[in-house]
Amino acid sequence: MIVGIPKGLLYYKYYPFFMTFFKELGLEVVISPDTNKGILDEGVKYCVDDACLPLKIFHGHVAVLKDKCDIILIPRIMQVRNREYICPKFCGLPEMIQNSIPQMPRIIDKPIYAGTRKKLYSWAKDIGRLITKDKSKIKRAFNFALIEQDKYKPGYNDNNQGLTVALVGHPYNIFDKYINKNIVQKLNKLGVGVITEEFIEETLIDEEVKGLYKRPFWTFARNSYGFAANVYREKRVNGIIYISSFACGIDSVVIELIKERIGNFPFMTLKIDEHTGEAGLDTRVEAFVDMLGRGVI
Amino acid sequence: MYYLGVDVGSVSTNLVLLDKNNSVVEKIYIRTKGSPIKAVQEGFKILRDKYDNIKVYGAGATGSGRHIAATLIGADAVKNEITSHAVAALEIDREVKTIIEIGGQDSKIIILRNGVVSDFAMNTVCAAGTGSFLDRQAERLDIPIEEFGDYALNSNIAVRIAGRCAVFAESDMIHKQQLGYNKADIIKGLCDALVRNYLNNVGKGKEILPKVFFQGGVAANKGIKTAFERALGFEVIVPKDYNVMGAIGAAILGREIAEKEGKTNFKGLDLASSIFESNSFECTDCSNRCEVVKLHENNRSIGCFGDRCGKWSNRVKAI
Repeated sequence: MIVGIPKGLLYYKYYPFFMTFFKELGLEVVISPDTNKGILDEGVKYCVDDACLPLKIFHGHVAVLKDKCDIILIPRIMQVRNREYICPKFCGLPEMIQNSIPQMPRIIDKPIYAGTRKKLYSWAKDIGRLITKDKSKIKRAFNFALIEQDKYKPGYNDNNQGLTVALVGHPYNIFDKYINKNIVQKLNKLGVGVITEEFIEETLIDEEVKGLYKRPFWTFARNSYGFAANVYREKRVNGIIYISSFACGIDSVVIELIKERIGNFPFMTLKIDEHTGEAGLDTRVEAFVDMLGRGVI
Repeated sequence: MYYLGVDVGSVSTNLVLLDKNNSVVEKIYIRTKGSPIKAVQEGFKILRDKYDNIKVYGAGATGSGRHIAATLIGADAVKNEITSHAVAALEIDREVKTIIEIGGQDSKIIILRNGVVSDFAMNTVCAAGTGSFLDRQAERLDIPIEEFGDYALNSNIAVRIAGRCAVFAESDMIHKQQLGYNKADIIKGLCDALVRNYLNNVGKGKEILPKVFFQGGVAANKGIKTAFERALGFEVIVPKDYNVMGAIGAAILGREIAEKEGKTNFKGLDLASSIFESNSFECTDCSNRCEVVKLHENNRSIGCFGDRCGKWSNRVKAI
């Protein structure tokens, strides 16, 4: 049996877990290619119009993958931390896909609560049972998968250049180079290093979040706010760039919270959508770097 | 001693010639009309006819078409519009604290403190409330864009128009117009809506202190200028060369770099008679499928644009 994993949304954060789990169960795993124009076009064609760009792109990944596998993972990730949730659109992702894309193969859509190891294991047991009756094999696959996930350290931490900026935003906006038009490379070319939230310890992020009048119940919100507040307070960076999908509800709140916290500290929001022309993004990035460097004027 | 600045924007292409004191000797404002190369050439033709034997010691390019312009003319500096506008404003008046710049598809606010950019913001991916939208509405109402502002000044009462989205604004304007409101009142309402939208959106959270410079093509619109003054409560200054400020900044930056390098890359005004052709193709070497544009001057390729990996844009430079 071949299982397909679309290279979209939280793939960038959690692919070692899913990939190892299925491989250890003896399945062949296929992954969709890196996001490209064809995938974007497919995604825009199938997805409901008002969704954000990363969701449309996820639809595109599913569309190019669906005929290459017998079963496809549409991860309904509800939680990666206790008492917190992901974005509301993740909860309905399998339904969106099934109602938008015709001739879908079987899908794995069981909700994933990864707040504790025990809860995640219960997902693994249910999915594993579809594939094998051997309980110990499932347990072994699950343990291996967690080990591989722990080894995986995504993110950027480059403060060896003249200037450093913190790149804030949902992981797929940071890691999908097609979505963000390779912003890390653009910044590096301008002599700017990039640091991302993965390199600030969880406990430090928690500390910052305590300052809010209400505990954020979205994981993205907590990470983005806590990260930005920390790099600002500890003066780890020269400026902050927030990559935000057009029409993102979570970001509309988080960006305001960050701005309120950091006052006059250099901050820029980059809105991304279907545009493939890069002139607008280049202008903003260059001007921001000019401002940080104060070299030109 | 002359310095040339070229600003290729979405709606207009502007050229300026500065003398050694950075004063404007000539300014040319041409509608880009979708062909930046032709617009630049047209500008060069005017310059060549008027200033036959001048020597340009430095050139700079800015605007959303700055990369194509830079390849075309051999620019010494290629700078974004924010920096260019700030440089030009500070050249005129070191006291400027805020720049409002509204162009064809961008609107910006630049906050200057002590002669450096301390903050800026641009409209997001949406171009509501910029020059191209005003153009479109003027066309729809059958009013020359040059008279748009005068209409607004003739009105005493503004009709409320929804300002946060160009599409909403247009439907609201049409609804109001079909109810019988006169054009002047609708236009005044539109000016107020654009200013409201600008201040709530681009200018949100920014400390707008005088002196405020209003630059970019839209600054020609007296209706918008007055609406800004009403909303801010103080004078908004439209500098004499408001519509070519980006080009002035580019010329100054080009001069700085050329002087530092001791030479200029500028190719000369004869560019006007070259034959430029561009063709585009989809690169199939990887899954990105970039739309690559190749630019030829007299059958010799001079540059490529639009590839993500740099394979094409680097290749031609090497030739």
